[in-house]
Amino acid sequence: MAEGTGRGDLLSIWFFVGILTLLYGIVLLPYGAWAWATGREAHTVLFQLHPTFWWGLLLSILGGFYTKRFWPRSEDRMKT
Amino acid sequence: MHLASAAVLFASSQLTHLVPLDVLILVLYFAVVIFIGFYVKGSTNTSEEFFLANREMSAWIAGLSFVSANLGSLELMGWAGSAYQYGILAMHWYWIGAIPAMLFLGIVMMPFYYISRTHSVPGYLKLRFGEGARGLSAACFAFMTILMSGVNMYAMAVVMQTVLGWNMTFSIWVGAITVAIYVMLGGLRSAIINEVLQFVLIWAGAALIPILGLIEAGGWTNLKAQIAANVGSNDYTHLWSTLGSFKSNPMGIHWTGIVFGLGGVISFGYWTTDFLVVQRVLSANNLRSAKLAPVIGAAFKMAVPLIVIVPGLLALAVLKNADGSLMHLVPGDVAKITGQHAYDEVLPLMLIRYCGPGLLGLGITALVAGFMSGMAGNVSAFSTVWTYDLYGAYINKKASDKHYVAMGRWSTVVGMLISILTAYLVAHATSIMDYVQALFSFFIAPLFGTVILGMLWKRATKEGGFWGLLAGTIGSIAMFIYVHVGGKQALSRIALSSDAQPMAENMYRALWSWILCVVITIGVSLVTKPKSDSELNGLVYGATAIPDDGSRTLLQKPIFWAGVVAVIFVFLNLIFF
Repeated sequence: MAEGTGRGDLLSIWFFVGILTLLYGIVLLPYGAWAWATGREAHTVLFQLHPTFWWGLLLSILGGFYTKRFWPRSEDRMKT
Repeated sequence: MHLASAAVLFASSQLTHLVPLDVLILVLYFAVVIFIGFYVKGSTNTSEEFFLANREMSAWIAGLSFVSANLGSLELMGWAGSAYQYGILAMHWYWIGAIPAMLFLGIVMMPFYYISRTHSVPGYLKLRFGEGARGLSAACFAFMTILMSGVNMYAMAVVMQTVLGWNMTFSIWVGAITVAIYVMLGGLRSAIINEVLQFVLIWAGAALIPILGLIEAGGWTNLKAQIAANVGSNDYTHLWSTLGSFKSNPMGIHWTGIVFGLGGVISFGYWTTDFLVVQRVLSANNLRSAKLAPVIGAAFKMAVPLIVIVPGLLALAVLKNADGSLMHLVPGDVAKITGQHAYDEVLPLMLIRYCGPGLLGLGITALVAGFMSGMAGNVSAFSTVWTYDLYGAYINKKASDKHYVAMGRWSTVVGMLISILTAYLVAHATSIMDYVQALFSFFIAPLFGTVILGMLWKRATKEGGFWGLLAGTIGSIAMFIYVHVGGKQALSRIALSSDAQPMAENMYRALWSWILCVVITIGVSLVTKPKSDSELNGLVYGATAIPDDGSRTLLQKPIFWAGVVAVIFVFLNLIFF
């Protein structure tokens, strides 16, 4: 059952958590990689650690895992 | 308590600006929350679905929502500022000021809230003490909740104006319309989903600050040494050892105030009887989930200081001016005159320090989500109490379920309009925010006295409950006025020391008003006729057979996990003693 969004619904709360996190990862990761590769990172404190790239990667992994784990399955669709 | 300073703290010029990448992140958030509102509308057709999310939330969802409902942006920025101002003492509001009460709610009180099948805290008071106590608490709660929503709205507009240069009217209306849409469509279910999202967002947006900050400072030990060198005292990094007297710590507070006032009354009052947070747990899908949700919430609550208190402490060590000198933050009213940065700006300042494009958008989105979640929490709780405990109890008792759902949706819209009005009112007289906060403290401590006696003492009577609650509330208001009119002498009588700071006064006032409520409730109860045991079944210890919560193994038992959280709580307090 799709947890938390109502009986019979396909998308659970955890799916929304996953998809939003994944979207943010997808936005941050390529930008972070581009800025790192071209040397155009904003000169914030410790920018040399490339936080945008690594944080984007982390959000992509976590978001991707949750999105896949809670992606609506065909048997859920059959029930509704 | 940080509201007044929030109004003036961002008096300096705009701190930063967003690039299109940041705007994209913000827009994605708005798109997802609006989509959620429309998505769950189809499953909010009955009053049980609209007001209590059909009581189908798992322990994890209810627990995260429970802790998230309290994690507003104003709180985050305010307590980060307090950590800068008072040091690690601010941590007490997250640990002793929350954890024991949350565990108590889960293990001791939740069975009664849950098995009585009440829709609200005033609803429980009606079952236990009758209409008088219900009417009084519902009216006070509805009034203060809607004002708080307006204050949240105004605070968001002020922060957005000063951090990003946004027009205040734009912020107020965009925030209000978005929240009104998703709460009106999806009720509590919508609010809960967004609270869970907000919790994740806050960590995603703010966790980089302590991580990068601790790297910059060279670890916790070096951070402590740098703070001691910068402020000339070791007091800022000790949780308990400076609380032996009012004068020996930056907060001007004694350990009795922290333990009995904060940990004993304010915290228990807020976490166990404020319907805004209790409503989240009432949505749990069974008794075990209802007991476990506050325990899960407590575990997450213990971790929140990492993204709130640690940034404040880090700022004491690493925050510097452009010329490399140490930056000194000041109170909001001083900042307005001198043009320096205020205490409560510490979180945005640290965010800007470490986060460039993209990450900055994520951090700002987390703040916006926090503000909107705070508004949604207040408005959804308001619409429930208005519909069940005021409209349904006194105005239209026999309407259909469909009618009450429609009333819930309309009261959400009307509540939001009143909030907008409050926001504009506060914008013209910021001192109103102090009174709104005070209003909250007038009521919550005595309410805890009434509820706890109602649950634990069979002899408490209808008359005792009502008069105790009324006396405690009036007593609290009287003490507030007395201290404001009577000056230092009055302060030393109420807060036990003329050195006490406003926070200390709040704590002692709460303690005395709670004691007054308890004494009056007991006194009146002893001379009035109690209910029989059969009438109290499901409402009071000693008259109720608590049903089995379905736990079979040790790892399924809420009491086991409450014990684990309690041990970690004690351990953390000893580490930072």
